[in-house]
Amino acid sequence: MSETTSTDGFGTPGKVWLGTLVVLVVAGLFAWFYQLSEGLAVTGMNNVFSWGLYIMLFVFFVGLSAGGLIISSVPKFFHSDRYDSIAALGVLVSFACIVVAGLLIIPDLGRPLKAIGFLLSPDFRSPMVWDFAIVIVYGLFTAGYFWLLTRRDLAARGSRLAFGVKDTAAGRKRDKKLSFWAAAIAIPLAVALHSITGWIFALQIGRGDWFSPLVAPMFIMKALVSGLALMLVVAVLADRFTRFELSRELVPELGKVLGIFVAVHIVYLLAAERLPHAWADSFGFWSITSGFLVGDTLSFWLWTLVGGVIPLALLVLPSLRRQVWAVFTASVFAIVGILFEGVNLIFTGYDQLNIDAAPGVTTGTDYLNYGSNVWATSGSYTPTIVELLISLGLVALGALIVTLGLRFFPVFPDETVETHTRRERPDAAAADGGQARTDGGTDE
Amino acid sequence: MTQYGMVIDQERCIGCQACATSCMEENNVGLGQAWNRVLTEGGDNIETPAGSYPEDGGDGTGTMSMDFQPTACQHCENAPCVKVCPVNATYTRDDGIVEIDYDKCMGCRYCMAACPYNARVFNYDEPDHVPDEGTGNVPKRPQGVVEKCTFCSHRVEQDLDPACVDACPADARIFGDLDDEESTVSKYVNKYETHRLLEDLETKPSTYYVRGEMTPGRQRSGKELEGTEKKRQAVPDGGDGQ
Repeated sequence: MSETTSTDGFGTPGKVWLGTLVVLVVAGLFAWFYQLSEGLAVTGMNNVFSWGLYIMLFVFFVGLSAGGLIISSVPKFFHSDRYDSIAALGVLVSFACIVVAGLLIIPDLGRPLKAIGFLLSPDFRSPMVWDFAIVIVYGLFTAGYFWLLTRRDLAARGSRLAFGVKDTAAGRKRDKKLSFWAAAIAIPLAVALHSITGWIFALQIGRGDWFSPLVAPMFIMKALVSGLALMLVVAVLADRFTRFELSRELVPELGKVLGIFVAVHIVYLLAAERLPHAWADSFGFWSITSGFLVGDTLSFWLWTLVGGVIPLALLVLPSLRRQVWAVFTASVFAIVGILFEGVNLIFTGYDQLNIDAAPGVTTGTDYLNYGSNVWATSGSYTPTIVELLISLGLVALGALIVTLGLRFFPVFPDETVETHTRRERPDAAAADGGQARTDGGTDE
Repeated sequence: MTQYGMVIDQERCIGCQACATSCMEENNVGLGQAWNRVLTEGGDNIETPAGSYPEDGGDGTGTMSMDFQPTACQHCENAPCVKVCPVNATYTRDDGIVEIDYDKCMGCRYCMAACPYNARVFNYDEPDHVPDEGTGNVPKRPQGVVEKCTFCSHRVEQDLDPACVDACPADARIFGDLDDEESTVSKYVNKYETHRLLEDLETKPSTYYVRGEMTPGRQRSGKELEGTEKKRQAVPDGGDGQ
């Protein structure tokens, strides 16, 4: 890519990791071509349950993209140097996530080429048009922001990626000012992104639980939880396997912030959402309490127990919070929890029909021959291998972006430390060789 | 202005499925899909009643009941599907019919998420037809688009009733202009006890259902519909007219 990095290429584990990611991306591409030739019939979706894994993961990755941008921009907005050491990494992760989120929409379309209609005949009443606009703006913004945060260091390295920017003291000072303004834009942009994505669902009066004013704040909160958790997971892994160094005192600090986010999300907002229904639906004290606390789906429990109670338990004790493993585990669990929050959201919209009299609705996918039962009175959905392969390919693409970004961009701002670590561990970039998968599963 | 609408008399409906079948035939709907469905209001299965048999014949303890609810696109005035369509593929015509421009549809299925009535179907696969060249008077739709009832706009434009209205042997379906106070649909909406599906969602459907007092059919002398001929189709043109 650039001369400066040619001296230290990827080591063997790094190459294996990269190779694995490339294989997954290529497999995803093949799966997508197969889906294009066969149609969405090869997915698990049907007329009743008409959005599946792609949309669940779209929501998930939009949320994940929040963390890095918030962590890097909020302190900058208050002219603080806090978290500066992970700011660039955070924005890189945000960028990768929003790219994955945006691309996840494409395989969901029946006729992807007709998406040109977004430009040719948009209906500005549609939340999807708002979301289309904000995802693109957010993606371009994070890319620009990432470059802004790294361009002086790129120039210092003589990288062509600096695009002619010079490394001068005055320039760095100016960039600091610029990054304040960038932060001032980043925060409302992130709030808009997550709210609008929430409103895709929250404006739908015909879908039971979706139609709730709490959905947009919920989306912001779950973006903060999963985004910060992902940020922590990536930082810990990058610290372990690349020349990136995560300063130890940041871990308990960010762990505490994550704990607060989880508490606001799972304890407060979820309670605010569920209590009115439970109270209105039940009469006795204990039936109200159980209606409020007890969910009836697996995804609900994965969300609240795995994604809420366990991380909170790990993060609430200061002595535990100082352990990197505890914060790391809490983060992974929080991410898994938020993934299932999205799954839960889609299921609550599609599992029941408003009008469920027999024979119900034609599924559109069950006709095989005369006598096939093509009717359904409730929704069910299981993703197929094709959907999983395409999704995994896109997730791998995100991991590839982060890996290459870590490799070719100076995401570690302190120059002295940077050269020092580069000399000491020249080959280690992204040498985690698949570790991220087994550890996090959802780190990217 | 014109606001086409339909009145469906559930007291007259006999659940014969003629409307559903004629819809599939006329609109060239792929196998395994239905734009128009006759739902059973009663037991858990199609054409099963709710309630229980009388314990002792004729003692008045029987509570069996069964009604039919023909259900297709309700052609809402405040149609959520129209509002969510990002590319303006689903739109409301000047005559109130909610229609899809299959050329623009990119198959995102947001409209299916928005429709509270599950009136829309998506061509996950290449639609199958018997015979292969299809049936009726509407060209087949490609794979990857959403489709639904159009109030047979191709027939309405030729001053014909929708196929389901034409096919109904019980005169349970009346089609017309709700904005015209003299039309039969307007008169029925005013005169009989009608409701609309999921009224509390405020989608303002243009399809009204009659329950309670039965509306008069065409054959009865001295009733409103006497002498009102069904506007029937002449010769099928295999969709060439489209």
